[in-house]
Amino acid sequence: MERFDAAVIGGGLLGCFAARELSRRKLDIALLEAREDVCTGISRANTAVVYPGYDHEPGTLKAEMTVRANAAFDRLCKELDVPFSRCGSLMLSFGPRADAVLRNKLQNGEANGVPGLRLLDAERVYAMEPGLAPGLRHALFSPTAGTVNPWQLGIAACENAVHNGVQLRLNTKVEALHRDAEGYLLETDRGSIRTRAVINCAGLAAHWVQELLFPPSVRIVPTAGDYLVLDKNSVGKPTHILEYEPEEKVKGLTVVPTVEGSLLLGPFERDNTLDYATTEGGLFWVREQASRLLPGLDLDGTIRSFAAVRPNPEQMDGRSIHSFCIEHPAERFWSLIGIKTPGLTCARELGQYVAAALARELHAEENKAFDPIRRAIPKAHVLSFDERRKLAAAEADYGEIICCCEDVTRAEVLEAIRRGACTVDGVKRRVGTGMGCCQGARCEQKIAALLSEALRMPESAVTKDGKGTERIYNGAC
Amino acid sequence: MEHVKLLIVGAGAAGLSAALSAWDAGCRDILLADRSAIPGGVLPQCIHRGFGLTAFGEELSGPEYTERLLAALAGTGVRLSLGTEVLSVSHDKAAVLSRRGCVSRVRFERLILASGCREKSIGALPVAGTRPAGIFTAGQAQEMINLRHQNPGREVLILGSGDLGMIMARRFSLEGKHVIAVLEQGETYGGMARNYHRCMEAYHIPLCCRMTVREIHGQGRISGVTAEHLDSGEREYIACDTLVTALGLIPERALVRELDASPWLSLAGNCCRVHDIVDSAASQAQRVGHEAGASLS
Ligand SMILES: Cc1cc2nc3c(=O)[nH]c(=O)nc-3n(C[C@H](O)[C@H](O)[C@H](O)COP(=O)(O)OP(=O)(O)OC[C@H]3O[C@@H](n4cnc5c(N)ncnc54)[C@H](O)[C@@H]3O)c2cc1C
Ligand SMILES: Cc1cc2nc3c(=O)[nH]c(=O)nc-3n(C[C@H](O)[C@H](O)[C@H](O)COP(=O)(O)OP(=O)(O)OC[C@H]3O[C@@H](n4cnc5c(N)ncnc54)[C@H](O)[C@@H]3O)c2cc1C
Repeated sequence: MERFDAAVIGGGLLGCFAARELSRRKLDIALLEAREDVCTGISRANTAVVYPGYDHEPGTLKAEMTVRANAAFDRLCKELDVPFSRCGSLMLSFGPRADAVLRNKLQNGEANGVPGLRLLDAERVYAMEPGLAPGLRHALFSPTAGTVNPWQLGIAACENAVHNGVQLRLNTKVEALHRDAEGYLLETDRGSIRTRAVINCAGLAAHWVQELLFPPSVRIVPTAGDYLVLDKNSVGKPTHILEYEPEEKVKGLTVVPTVEGSLLLGPFERDNTLDYATTEGGLFWVREQASRLLPGLDLDGTIRSFAAVRPNPEQMDGRSIHSFCIEHPAERFWSLIGIKTPGLTCARELGQYVAAALARELHAEENKAFDPIRRAIPKAHVLSFDERRKLAAAEADYGEIICCCEDVTRAEVLEAIRRGACTVDGVKRRVGTGMGCCQGARCEQKIAALLSEALRMPESAVTKDGKGTERIYNGAC
Repeated sequence: MEHVKLLIVGAGAAGLSAALSAWDAGCRDILLADRSAIPGGVLPQCIHRGFGLTAFGEELSGPEYTERLLAALAGTGVRLSLGTEVLSVSHDKAAVLSRRGCVSRVRFERLILASGCREKSIGALPVAGTRPAGIFTAGQAQEMINLRHQNPGREVLILGSGDLGMIMARRFSLEGKHVIAVLEQGETYGGMARNYHRCMEAYHIPLCCRMTVREIHGQGRISGVTAEHLDSGEREYIACDTLVTALGLIPERALVRELDASPWLSLAGNCCRVHDIVDSAASQAQRVGHEAGASLS
């Protein structure tokens, strides 16, 4: 049986960062993920905002962590070679209720130590975002807000964890847990694993995993959100993150100019569902809100819609939990349960928090060989002409274009596969193929063929997004 | 830096026709670049008949039509560069080309953009639900069946009754698949009457007008859709394992999006406007090619 010092359950953003932060210590670490790839859960469908930290009550862990995480984000993204855009955000008010909300957030933010926050009058805001609808009163400008591609950040953390010795076990679902004097025994669908310690980062299933061994202490009430994505070439895109604070007491639209250049709109929040299906009402609401807020935005540039699921933690008696729910039900067992916004912003900080706590319990020594640097897959389309010419001359595959919308070469696709992509969407998450205006209609076929060749499997076995999503019909459904 | 008099982007019916006419008009320095490894654009995957009645006086298949153009091209000095993506075009009359092992910059005097169309994808419609496997554009399905001999599915619903939708309805029937229906939001089919009679009526494929898809169901693979009758607002569930979208073509002008109209730039074929018939795309391209060629001879 395999033995580890620590097992991290769940390869989402939090699990990948927990494993990476743990690898700063001299420990044998396993990262266990149920699916065929990392970052296929909440971490791939969210709003992608790196929050500045004015949303939370002063003095809370959330407030403190968010401000710290935000300040460290440039450095983190530099270490992990992930694009980060500190584009700033504008929280928009069109009426008295929202004005009050803005003032309150400003106060919170100042108390939390958020740098550069300013309440701007309408004239200043229109100068920054000329496309905004008339009638604006104020905006809360936060220059430190930014956006990052969440799954690229998670994948980068995972690669860095593996680089530092973490054993990644994919297709490994933890199904039962036992505890004895030595530590924990994990039964997975790929055999059993012994470990001295556990960090449970199973996302939407984290409470379920904890309950495999401990009595229930937290409930998860899932809610869902619908989003739309507009093509990078759409007319009327704003350059800042916009957060519309409506007069009615409902959550307003968030608009995010992503690092890829596309525009993310959403979410429309709905109740009690675990369903990743979007709703007509939700998509209608997003479109309607978007055209109200940005009348000049060309919604014909819509290329995609998707739904996300939010795990809302509650006490067993139904009271909601506002702080990060970090559970420690027994020695050397830590759970991150129901970590929603700002879990992306704080992914590294949360990982660091549980890793440090666990290291203390394990009396682990520092791993002096820890290397924080990870290099991204070189992208041809960001290079200058001369660099690109040289690269293609040295490596022929860098001359062959596979995805013509996003300008991704064969070399990048092959490297994505070498680094672990095993589905069409896995390649997409790593190098951005199929994210453009034709949504993969022109490159999916070529990517499937490359996957089949590189992974030596028949093309009929190539999936879009894991088991059951074979591209070629196999009569199985 | 390489220099050519005339650069043509796209070696479909339009690009090939433009090149031939420019050569005939006296231009002797022509580079014709296409990203695909095979010339002809959409033609090679259109194995049905129905091409070339005006130009050649007989009904050809897409591949046959391509062969005619290539045979004519062989007698010229036009340089055909396949597997070559034109990455960008700039104001100073230069283009960046990329192919295996080689990224280069080419200066030109005139440019003909003959880059065809792309298909509108389902993501552009406000259709709710999941995004399972088994959803293809008509062009994708056509490529899978005709060029790769792959099976996209068995119980097929087609959304959109333009020529592509109707031709694919017939294609699936010929493959022994069950085409449940072709849904069309308009009052009648969107494509040519000839295609309706030949591809739909002749194969008893139901055309459901004033209908559209509102929601997609299915977890791994698509299992069905919620369709709406637009006049009554009534909805029905239609089970299927494949959804083929033929939502229309969008002229592909990404390369010149940021350029203003310039005297050195012309558009030919489907990237200029959508042509239902290859002969009309080709003859428009011939005019453009002739004019450019004459000015450079
Ligand atoms: C709608 C929405 C919008 C958000 N927007 C933002 C934002 O703008 N900014 C921000 O900072 N944060 C945001 N967040 C929060 C952030 O996205 C999450 O906190 C973060 O992605 C959580 O990651 P995770 O690793 O917990 O979950 P996941 O990514 O879901 O990872 C959990 C993993 O565990 C695996 N797993 C489950 N069970 C098992 C098992 N038994 N054995 C092995 N593996 C298992 C799953 O397969 C999955 O891969 C948002 C969240 C939501 C829902
Ligand atoms: C399914 C279908 C059925 C049809 N049936 C008929 C029929 O029965 N009868 C009839 O007369 N007509 C038919 N047509 C119409 C006819 O085929 C088209 O109008 C015609 O072929 C369009 O030619 P084109 O050269 O403009 O475009 P395309 O054939 O699309 O060629 C464009 C070329 O440009 C290349 N390209 C684009 N951008 C770049 C770039 N940046 N760098 C390099 N290369 C690039 C592409 O690879 C492509 O090869 C049909 C069309 C389709 C799609």
